[in-house]
Amino acid sequence: MKFSRAVRALLRSRSGFAGSVLVGLLVLSALVSLVWTPYDPTLARPQDSWLLPFSGGHVLGTDRLGRDELSQLLTGARSTLSTALLAAAIAAAVGLALAFAAVLTPRRLGAVVVQLTDVLIAFPVLLIAMILTAVHGGSTWTVVTAIGVGAGVNLARVARAEAGRVLGTDYVLAAHAAGSGTWRTVRKHLLPNIAPTLIVQLSLVLSVAVLAEAALSYLGFGTPAPAVSWGRMLQEQQQYVTARPLLVIWPGLAVAASVLGFNLLGDGLREATDARLRVREVAA
Amino acid sequence: MTLYLLRRAGLLVVSLLAASVLIFLVLRLLPGDVAQTIGGIRATPAQVAAVRHDLGLDRPLAAQYGSWIGGVVTGDFGRSVLDGTSVSGQLAEKFAVTGPLAVGAIVLALAFAVPLGVLAAVRRDSRLGSAVNALGQLGIALPTLWVGLLLVVVFAVQVRWLPAQGFPVDGWDEPGQAVKSLVLPWLTLALAEGAVLLRFVRSAVLDVLHQDWLRTARAKGRTRTSALVRHGLRNAAVPVVSVLGLQIAALIAGAVVVEQVFVLPGVGQMLITDVGNRDLDKVQGEILLLTGAVLVIGFLVDLAHRLIDPRLRSAV
Amino acid sequence: MRRSTTLRLAATAVLAGLAATACGTGSADDPANAGQTSQAAEPAAIDSGATVDVRLVLEPTSLDIASTAGAALDQVLLDNIYQGLLTRDEDNKIRPSLATKYEESSDGLTYTFHLAEDATFHDGTKVTAADAVWSLQQVTAKGSKNPDAAALASVKSVSASDDHTVVVKLKHRDTGFTWGLTGRAGVVFEKGTDFSSLAGKENGTGPFKLSGWKRGSSITFVRNDAYWGTKAKVAKVVFHYIKDDNSANNAQQTGQTDIETAAQADLLQPFSDKSKYTVLRGDTTDKFTLALNNASGPTKDVRVRRAIRQAIDNAGLIKTLGGAAKEVGGPVPATDPGYEDLTSIDAYDPDSAKKLLKQAGYGDGLKLTVKIPNIYPTEIGDYLASELKQVGIQLTVRQVEFQTWLDAVYTKHDYQLSLVDHAEARDLYNFADPDYYFGYDNADVQKWYGEAQTASSDSQRDALLKKAARQVSEDAAADWLFVSQTLTVVRSGVTGVPRNFTSNRYSLADLAVAKK
Repeated sequence: MKFSRAVRALLRSRSGFAGSVLVGLLVLSALVSLVWTPYDPTLARPQDSWLLPFSGGHVLGTDRLGRDELSQLLTGARSTLSTALLAAAIAAAVGLALAFAAVLTPRRLGAVVVQLTDVLIAFPVLLIAMILTAVHGGSTWTVVTAIGVGAGVNLARVARAEAGRVLGTDYVLAAHAAGSGTWRTVRKHLLPNIAPTLIVQLSLVLSVAVLAEAALSYLGFGTPAPAVSWGRMLQEQQQYVTARPLLVIWPGLAVAASVLGFNLLGDGLREATDARLRVREVAA
Repeated sequence: MTLYLLRRAGLLVVSLLAASVLIFLVLRLLPGDVAQTIGGIRATPAQVAAVRHDLGLDRPLAAQYGSWIGGVVTGDFGRSVLDGTSVSGQLAEKFAVTGPLAVGAIVLALAFAVPLGVLAAVRRDSRLGSAVNALGQLGIALPTLWVGLLLVVVFAVQVRWLPAQGFPVDGWDEPGQAVKSLVLPWLTLALAEGAVLLRFVRSAVLDVLHQDWLRTARAKGRTRTSALVRHGLRNAAVPVVSVLGLQIAALIAGAVVVEQVFVLPGVGQMLITDVGNRDLDKVQGEILLLTGAVLVIGFLVDLAHRLIDPRLRSAV
Repeated sequence: MRRSTTLRLAATAVLAGLAATACGTGSADDPANAGQTSQAAEPAAIDSGATVDVRLVLEPTSLDIASTAGAALDQVLLDNIYQGLLTRDEDNKIRPSLATKYEESSDGLTYTFHLAEDATFHDGTKVTAADAVWSLQQVTAKGSKNPDAAALASVKSVSASDDHTVVVKLKHRDTGFTWGLTGRAGVVFEKGTDFSSLAGKENGTGPFKLSGWKRGSSITFVRNDAYWGTKAKVAKVVFHYIKDDNSANNAQQTGQTDIETAAQADLLQPFSDKSKYTVLRGDTTDKFTLALNNASGPTKDVRVRRAIRQAIDNAGLIKTLGGAAKEVGGPVPATDPGYEDLTSIDAYDPDSAKKLLKQAGYGDGLKLTVKIPNIYPTEIGDYLASELKQVGIQLTVRQVEFQTWLDAVYTKHDYQLSLVDHAEARDLYNFADPDYYFGYDNADVQKWYGEAQTASSDSQRDALLKKAARQVSEDAAADWLFVSQTLTVVRSGVTGVPRNFTSNRYSLADLAVAKK
């Protein structure tokens, strides 16, 4: 009941609708690629190398190894989707744990957590990725962990700032004074009040994960073969951008559309869950 | 406030120490070492062992950490094992590229993100507001390296206004050339950072627009704009400043990618090369300085928070 | 006698040369036709005050050539700054250098080198036999850190018979000894040089002096006007380290560089105007070797190794990488002694590969992992995975950092398949060493290789090497995917540009610029 109302609210908002469509496309591509692609996306055929779109039965043409571009794009959606979701899950776990530990534990312990978070934030994600890659070799998990932890500590800081703000508000202080327990405060006041910010943040993490995967692949620390990834497509083709820009444009657009989708969806969710906004919209 | 400042500064020192231990240990997890780089692949195990001994790499970790941190305390961040250059000197040299890149990008980003963000929030129901918001969304969505590549194709390859990649051989001794070669990197980085900032500015301003006290201020006869300027922006600035602090770390990561795309001889390129060579003495010095910079910025952001939000002042 | 090979750390360089269009349509920029092997003669009027800017790929990690390994040091420092008793020319033939001539005794055990009488170090000191003896002794001394120390393993003693004559006695005949002297091991330093002081400066004997090193960007040489031999024809050379091929092309197009080494074959369109640019095609000894663990795992079975070789269409790989490479079929490239065309051994035949796998008990499929340093283009791994999939092998590609590769594959032999560019010339010894990471152990090959080292003539040596190389290939000890070629773009008016083996040696001795 509540859920379906939220979905309706989401689809009513323009960004929510657009975001749902884009993310829907991403999910659809990933699902379709599980059962059907025009060609085997990893099949290298030197004699078909660099075909133009709509030639030799390849709608979007082929790359240097003669692999079908469309098949790779469809299959690449799987890596993108799984990278984004796993990274966001890790980020949410890391971020919330650190944020709550910082604001809810006794002051001294909290201060230690705050400092630890700050130290971790100061570590570049790239370095985490490099170290993980060096130790374990490039893999989807390496990428996901690096992005998740990197984004998680950032999330922790924003969540902490928000939580601190909410805990300082009169109504929370009042609730506390009225004898509301810690967990009740968290559930009743803290979570609902920081949720809009968290959702915006998580939608950002989803999109950051997609972008970071592309960037890590570009630097050679990304998803390895035989998995197909848009980031690696970009990395493999970027050298030929002047000669064959289309092959760089497709995966770039795919990445951009996914990121945009996640962001718009986040916006839509925010509008749908933010009571104040909803009331205002109804009133308007 | 003074007490707070002292405590916060104490924490900063502790954080720096913790960071140094973390950096030191994490780097020791990396397989391979610089002795192999120096000796090369044809070196016999005995040769590599001799090199390790000469470099003191066979000493206990605690001793190695001690001698490193001892140097750091006296301002000596260490030297490259490979070519003997000092970390601070090399970092200063590379910062001549990365510094202007990062500062220029963030200034550029703020210059368009703040006004556009406020505009997008205040006029959120108008066509203009939606357009600005959509632009911001798009800016976040575009992969940095992809934008860089496309900018190169358009401005350097097609119309040939700007150099595609690289930095003048003589660096800032050729200021015109140096600035020219930073234009596309600035744009690329500022677009990515600015779009994120725009989103936060918009969201923060939207938040304050619906706060009761803003309504109160309006009820007391202030116009919407004046209420926003008097009370709103100050409150909206809290999350924005906190995001800005975060962006500094993101900026460094972004700079690494942008340096790769535009082949700029900056800090990012140096780090990647040094890690590859396992020149750990140099890497740990570099990372500590970078991490330290971010921590100090975090410290300043916290102070700024307190100045902006009076409620926090009494909190601790 | 344990020897191992020098692997190029940044083979990006090499692969750059390997690039790739192949639109399949045979257009005018078809890379298979790109590049020529001859260049214009030196012009009548040369500009002796000229500065030449050269694009190189891999920057040295240090300039201490006595103890820091790396082809990037050899490339710029050997012949230009530092000189050995002997050197090699554009065809990898041994030539005199600081030793203007030398004699070999009939039993092959004594070599007498006559040093140039007027040679000086850059600090002005005369080069004497004492310097050469001291330098060689540092290499052969116990605990030597010279990366090439193994090249002089056969040396028994080194002495000076007068101020300009050096006598080297060997323990046994060594057909590789003079070759060894053309590399690091033969470099002459001033007696008593503290090698640790050479990390950022130099005191060589060559036609150029080091004038500056901007780390991460460029190294500058200036002409040594006091050079003892024929003086350099240009005043200054700046090496720009540009890894990215597009940036290198841009630098060459805008005139920031005069010479672009390791140019990418399919990005040569901007240089098609023959009146402005010359594209040179040169040989390398870069053997892209798919190592198949001979000592453990499924690839211990020769049938699996042969199946893998037969499953991979090397010609197709070369085509997709742009055509600037040659098939080789065995461990010896065409420019090394002992070469013969072995491409017919285990040629591309997926059906036969499937049969072999079935015989080996893998008819239902086989899962393998290949470890590839992340300095090589990821497409090679993609291609291998695609080819092996056709015969029922599921290949996982694991990209690792080069240092991790060194640790896991090279040192600990922890791998099934591995791909690395074995860049060094004359490195057949890796297949004569059962402890090497290939794990290939064949007594005949070891015997033939050993005999080749002590052979009494080059022809006898070459026959033995040929026999060994053929055996190695027949045993499918590895798969040699290709030997790459390298392309150099030269601005017109610049002559005397090195063409072959440019990532190992880059002699500037003949470089000249026409007067405008």
